Amino acid sequence: MPGFDALYERLRPECERLIAQYEQPRSALLPIVHLFQQHEGYTSREAMRATAEMLRLTPAVVESTVSFYTLFFRKPVGRYVLQVCRGLSCTINGAEEIMAYFREKLGIGHLQTTADGLFSYEEVECLAACDRPTCMQVNLEFFYDLTPAAIDEMIEAMRGGAFPVAPMAQTRAPESTWAIAQDDQVATGRKSPGATGVARPNNAGGLGDASGVIMLDRFVNKEIAFSERSNERLVRDSRAVYDVLEDGEQHAGH
Amino acid sequence: MPVTKVLTAGIGEVDLRDFTVYRDRGGYKQWERAVRELQPAQVLELADRSGLRGRGGAGFPTGKKWSFLPNDNKPRYLVCNCDEAEPGTFKDHMLLEQTPHLVLEGILLGAYGIASHHAFIYIRGEFKRGFEIFSKALDEARAAGLLGKNIFGTGYDLEVTVHRGAGAYICGEETGLLNSLEGKRGEPRLKPPFPAIAGLYGMPTVVNNVETLAYLVPILEKGAEWFAAVGTERSKGYKIISISGHVRKPGNYEVALGTTVRELIEIAGGLREGRTLKAVQPGGGSSACIFDEHLDWPYDYESMAKAGSMLGSGAFVVFDDTTDFVKCAFNLVRFFAHESCGQCTPCREGGHWLETVLHRFVEGRGLRSDLEMIRRVSSTITGLNLCALGDSIEPFLKSVINRFPEQFEARIDARSLQQNGSPAMAASAR
Repeated sequence: MPGFDALYERLRPECERLIAQYEQPRSALLPIVHLFQQHEGYTSREAMRATAEMLRLTPAVVESTVSFYTLFFRKPVGRYVLQVCRGLSCTINGAEEIMAYFREKLGIGHLQTTADGLFSYEEVECLAACDRPTCMQVNLEFFYDLTPAAIDEMIEAMRGGAFPVAPMAQTRAPESTWAIAQDDQVATGRKSPGATGVARPNNAGGLGDASGVIMLDRFVNKEIAFSERSNERLVRDSRAVYDVLEDGEQHAGH
Repeated sequence: MPVTKVLTAGIGEVDLRDFTVYRDRGGYKQWERAVRELQPAQVLELADRSGLRGRGGAGFPTGKKWSFLPNDNKPRYLVCNCDEAEPGTFKDHMLLEQTPHLVLEGILLGAYGIASHHAFIYIRGEFKRGFEIFSKALDEARAAGLLGKNIFGTGYDLEVTVHRGAGAYICGEETGLLNSLEGKRGEPRLKPPFPAIAGLYGMPTVVNNVETLAYLVPILEKGAEWFAAVGTERSKGYKIISISGHVRKPGNYEVALGTTVRELIEIAGGLREGRTLKAVQPGGGSSACIFDEHLDWPYDYESMAKAGSMLGSGAFVVFDDTTDFVKCAFNLVRFFAHESCGQCTPCREGGHWLETVLHRFVEGRGLRSDLEMIRRVSSTITGLNLCALGDSIEPFLKSVINRFPEQFEARIDARSLQQNGSPAMAASAR
């Protein structure tokens, strides 16, 4: 993607600066992804691949991390991301009516984007502004004490391009939702599909044996220290397997 | 008992975001004094003697937490936890946006107290504005020589890094936060080892709440005795209470610990006209409700624990007689189910199923056998998880089911009552 390459070149110095803030480069993962998302309007596959390259991680590790956080959108979103608080203090002070008003006004529901690509709507957990219910964020700027009249005014200003908050960058047209398969299941309450949600449940990745052997080898050679976390070990070991497999592929190709 | 403005002094009156305004009011004086005149151990001793306890939720004595750091030459880190997301809590949000220099001075003092040369502040992803405000404050302080290399010519180096999260309640849990700060999924770690032994990058680390660290500034200024002079026997000093819900003037109010529950409601303007109190959730979404009979109890760590709840982060949510506690229970269970990181089966699956069952009640389709199942499942989840998130599901739920069973019973589908409470039969009857 040529457009992305130019952006990558442009943001690279800033990424380097972010990396230099930390004792370990991987700590810059969230800041770098924030930076790309700020420019692209969402976190593209190219951005995750570039992040992986700079941090010497696999793209899969970057995506697994990115997918943990609700503020990283892995698909394009609308120009205005409207996130209305559904926390307890707002709820007992009228948030349900406000949310119903938004849904009706925009004609979309939770985690959806309008067809014109202007609005994305999400009902989010407590935003820490409980003294002024109902509160919301528009592209992460706070708005408080919502009323239907205030919402009308707000939406009108956004449609007319006169809203005080800058619209999100939009490098690609959004679809009807930015949630992706697994998140969809979370959104609809099907959080744990278990093996039934997997096409071939027994085909769980196929790296099991190799990673086990590598781990055993490291353990015998005392390369695995007691203080190491099992998840770090897992990431490193899966990378080692990845490297081995990649080498193998290269050999096979030649 | 009145509101006493300590950390909140000047907020809403002057622009404390302005570096000059903050300095003119005596800002950074304690930092300068600490670096020039005090040894780190003396700062730790002050924190310890003041009786300051963690203001983020757990209430652990701050000085004691610091003293767990091993005496070795490893790098050590101070991390300020500004991932405020406990339902009902909005004090750190205010401190960060309204008085960023005080937050920073607290971090500097905390870092010095544990002799750290690199401190971090982890700011909730949603606080984008707060992140910008704090970053600017940090740049100003750096330009004024308040941090960096060889501070005030004493040879002491300290760098502060601002790190913004990206939306995940669990990153407020200290080991989840550390994983997130390391660029990983914010999944809590198995403890031990505790962060004091192996925290950020496997090094000794202290994680303290924003409010906890900010209190170091007045403690250094006015002395440990000043802070310890107010409060109760084991809950010393002041605390910012985030009061919300059915009160006339919701907001952040700074009071001495031990102020009664009734006084707190009055401070926030009292209930609306003609309403009566049903319950108070005194310590955030994770805490059980307290009721009428606790109105004259002092609001401190011990009393709230004795009342079967906790003081937590100081999120004080008031419910009057218009409250639908079935909806409230569903709301909080959905919150925890949504925010579960998914590592531990009891929390991941239990939270999800409780949410599903409670949703039935919200829609008036509860089964008679459900109430017993809710009790069983929520108590089964508790205590079987890596962190406290799963354990946070039960307290509120249990307290409102026990106190307002009629609200739940009213939502049971009449047909399930005729089916001897067998869920399977009731389901097939539909």
